[in-house]
Amino acid sequence: MCGIVGYVGSKNAKSILINSLKKLDYRGYDSAGLSTLEDELYVFKDQGEISVLEKSIPDMPGTLGIGHTRWATHGKVCKENAHPQISGNKKIAVVHNGIIENFRSLREGLEAEGHSFESETDTEVVSHLVEKYYDGDLEEATRRALKDIEGTYALAIMCKDEKDKIVAARRGSPLILGIGENENFVASDIPAILEHTNKVFFLDDNEIATVANDKIHITNFDGITIKKEASTIDWTYEDAEKAGYAHYMLKEIHEQPHVVHQAMLGRISELDASVSFDELNSNEPFFSTLGEISIVACGTSYYAGMYGKHIIESMAEIPVKVELATEYNEHIPIMFNNIERKLIIAITQSGETADTLAVIKRAKNMGHKILVISNVPGSSASRLADWTIPNKSGPEIGVAATKTFASQLAVLYLIALYLGQLRNTLGAHQISKFIKNIRDIPQLIQTVLDRSAEIEHCAKELKNVSNMFFIGRSTNYPIALEGALKLKEISYIHAEGFSAGELKHGPFALLTEQTPVVALCDRYDSYEKILTNIIEIKARNAPVIAVTDTDDDEMEKYVDSVLRVPRASIELSPLLNAVVCQLFAYHVANYKGCPIDKPRNLAKSVTVE
Amino acid sequence: MRAIVLAAGEGSRLRPFTESMSKVMLPIANKPILEYVVDALTQSGIEDIVMVLGYRKERIMDYFGDGKNFGANIRYVFQEKQIGTGHALLQAKEELDDETIVLAGDNVIDAEILSSIVSHKGLALLYIKHDKPSKYGVVTIDGGLIKDICEKPKKDIGNLISTGIYKFSKNISNELEQIISQGSPKITNFIRHLLEDEKKIASVKGEGTWQDAVYPWDLLRLNEVTLQNCPSASAGKIERGAEIKGNVSIGKNSIIRSGSYIIGPVLIGEGCEIGPNACIFPATSIGNNVTIGAFSEIRNSIIMNNVHVGSRSSVFQSVIGEGSKLDTNFTSVVGDAYISLGKSDNFHEVKDIGCFIGENCKIGSGAVVDPGKIIGRNCKIDIQKRITKNVKSESIVV
Repeated sequence: MCGIVGYVGSKNAKSILINSLKKLDYRGYDSAGLSTLEDELYVFKDQGEISVLEKSIPDMPGTLGIGHTRWATHGKVCKENAHPQISGNKKIAVVHNGIIENFRSLREGLEAEGHSFESETDTEVVSHLVEKYYDGDLEEATRRALKDIEGTYALAIMCKDEKDKIVAARRGSPLILGIGENENFVASDIPAILEHTNKVFFLDDNEIATVANDKIHITNFDGITIKKEASTIDWTYEDAEKAGYAHYMLKEIHEQPHVVHQAMLGRISELDASVSFDELNSNEPFFSTLGEISIVACGTSYYAGMYGKHIIESMAEIPVKVELATEYNEHIPIMFNNIERKLIIAITQSGETADTLAVIKRAKNMGHKILVISNVPGSSASRLADWTIPNKSGPEIGVAATKTFASQLAVLYLIALYLGQLRNTLGAHQISKFIKNIRDIPQLIQTVLDRSAEIEHCAKELKNVSNMFFIGRSTNYPIALEGALKLKEISYIHAEGFSAGELKHGPFALLTEQTPVVALCDRYDSYEKILTNIIEIKARNAPVIAVTDTDDDEMEKYVDSVLRVPRASIELSPLLNAVVCQLFAYHVANYKGCPIDKPRNLAKSVTVE
Repeated sequence: MRAIVLAAGEGSRLRPFTESMSKVMLPIANKPILEYVVDALTQSGIEDIVMVLGYRKERIMDYFGDGKNFGANIRYVFQEKQIGTGHALLQAKEELDDETIVLAGDNVIDAEILSSIVSHKGLALLYIKHDKPSKYGVVTIDGGLIKDICEKPKKDIGNLISTGIYKFSKNISNELEQIISQGSPKITNFIRHLLEDEKKIASVKGEGTWQDAVYPWDLLRLNEVTLQNCPSASAGKIERGAEIKGNVSIGKNSIIRSGSYIIGPVLIGEGCEIGPNACIFPATSIGNNVTIGAFSEIRNSIIMNNVHVGSRSSVFQSVIGEGSKLDTNFTSVVGDAYISLGKSDNFHEVKDIGCFIGENCKIGSGAVVDPGKIIGRNCKIDIQKRITKNVKSESIVV
């Protein structure tokens, strides 16, 4: 998971590439580099993130170039291993996102033929292979090289002898081509080019594109031309900026009232007691006769999936399994069963998560119906899916997912309602009430944001702890897991989420005065139980911070501090508690001085398995 | 040319509406006041905008972002403590350019009023005639130059008031810094200082819109005036049997149900459900994600985002804050009222007025609110209560 960019046009390529790379550094930022072409092939690369390296980059002439920001997979983080990788004859420059699985054997072969290698990367074999096959036609040389290569890649390649084009290719890693006026772009993701154009081609697997300033020619590996429809992206450039906030993450946390509003806009009607999705056809008997759902996802999306299980099972009375895409290999036999009545729901923010894509591909091959929940229109996942429900939350740049989590929860809530309505497990009045409840959520999230001073204060008190636990029950259990994940990701504090009831089955042994516990409460069926759990924790002297609603005057008798949210229904209180956890993690990390938008070792879109 | 917009203050006389967002973000015809300022600037060819923010700045940044959606390039600087307009400007002193328009973010203005000062070269102050000058900084003029400025004069010294719109240049920043360090944080102090220093400040007359909302009831007047330019457009759905007359604008994914009767000018935001059989009369603005129940009547009111108005309710000449829920049979009684905003405030005579309800209130079924009464934010009113006094924020009325 690296970010690649390319530019062909009439402006100075260097500054455009640097700006684009900055927009992609959520994909990796341990090293970066770029290459431009005029009379010479100019190359700059080094260890460090692009915004830091920027100052040390010398003048690089040329209106054609490629760039890269790296998240190391093969080879340690060092200047030599940064991209672009250059061929032995110093004519071919390559940037790559993905993993070349047979690079060792290819490298040995090339070395035997006299090629000498400078880096430890898998990518370097591409530049040498292209050099080997080069005979005056870069596209053809690339095509021949790719026939030797096994693995995944998004590639952008240029050659000193062809000063008017970049050759790009894709298999398994995302790649888009931006269409400008007398200029064209190559990029791993949309934000990189949004400043320049919102018209794009989505390259598909096993396609090669030759990109010149006035022309984009796409072929398959056999050289047959492929006609593609350009897509228009309705994100605005602004969505990818920080807009006065110190960090993207905080900006994105604050976008959540709007994001939830967007997620439900046009999908609900309170008086009609109906939920509809333009993307789904309610007359299709498949949905009303579903017997089983499997949700697959990773990370934060997986926690959203756990929430989805709860809500779908209770509203639509369909059994739901939630699986980590990373672990799905172990469960292949399950996928064979009951294909006609089973729906796979894959949740992936980027639509490019390699682990989730692998499951989607396998399930599709077996004939399963797949519904994807993704934030990126035209992503690989949505192109494989039978249906895609877009989150509509706009680009998310902060590595720690926040607003897309909120929109995933909102979308899952609506899907549960939708299925409940099709299957008659919910009455019209109930549906109307559920719709009314989600209608209130944007305002309630805004209220949580308006009260964030309390959360910030609490974060300040706890910034020096080294362990922290989050507990919750029923719909708030996934939020406890997500709260712990947020804290781990950006503040580097060791945090664990538990079901409140599970604490006494083991983790209790870890409780001391130095392990604060954040308890996410909702005042419904499980309130008494979580109160009991809290009292048990207090008996072990661990400090407890309770998140509960503003009307709860019981809780403060038992805990060290109370963070208050407005009262919401049991199904929707997770959306408010999640915002508290996000703000808490943010402020802890901010007090600790952590690089919030770029936590160490992480990248946003995980395009390797 | 660059503009520096001062938008750090709360506008506390507009409480409870300013308790979670500042005055500049209060909606007039479904647009924050500050958006009128941004639009006036961009229409005058000024896209380079610096905003000085303080109180509830997140709401402003969330809305305007980097300004691209508004045809502007907006950057932000922050004033930690809101101690005065001059001090606010000082926070942006690095941003003062050779020619910079400095203006307040809390007046509804149009591009026309800016045209004379935009084209003027050198230090200048934009003034207008006003029929209630005593609330503002009154200027006296001599030979095209400002002679003096007097804040809220007790005596009648003329009817020309400062709009708070200035043309400054970067070479004033040292003097600004100096005068503020002497403990005079307002821009008018600074102007007087410049005059005492025999600096020439041109007086430029403004022609066009310059409107101010000082008190909650001013919002209604401003809304009514602004709605006169309300377009007629529908991106929503209008069921058969609903009658729409005059200029009515209906946002995306909103639905007007059968039997409803709407007479413009009326603005309805996105994702609203109106009716069936609801009546909405001039001049009313309804925000996003609002539901108006069956058989309710709304007249000359501002209904902000996420509000629910229950069935058989009457909302007249009133302002309902974000997220408030009015249960069935709510009544705002219209009449003349003497309103005081607090112990230190005088009584203001306001004619023909309904009520003011802050954000996130829950008003029980059958509640009746007397004319001119103000209910704070986050209040709960029990069923069938009659509200005859102002209700403080976070109160429960049982």
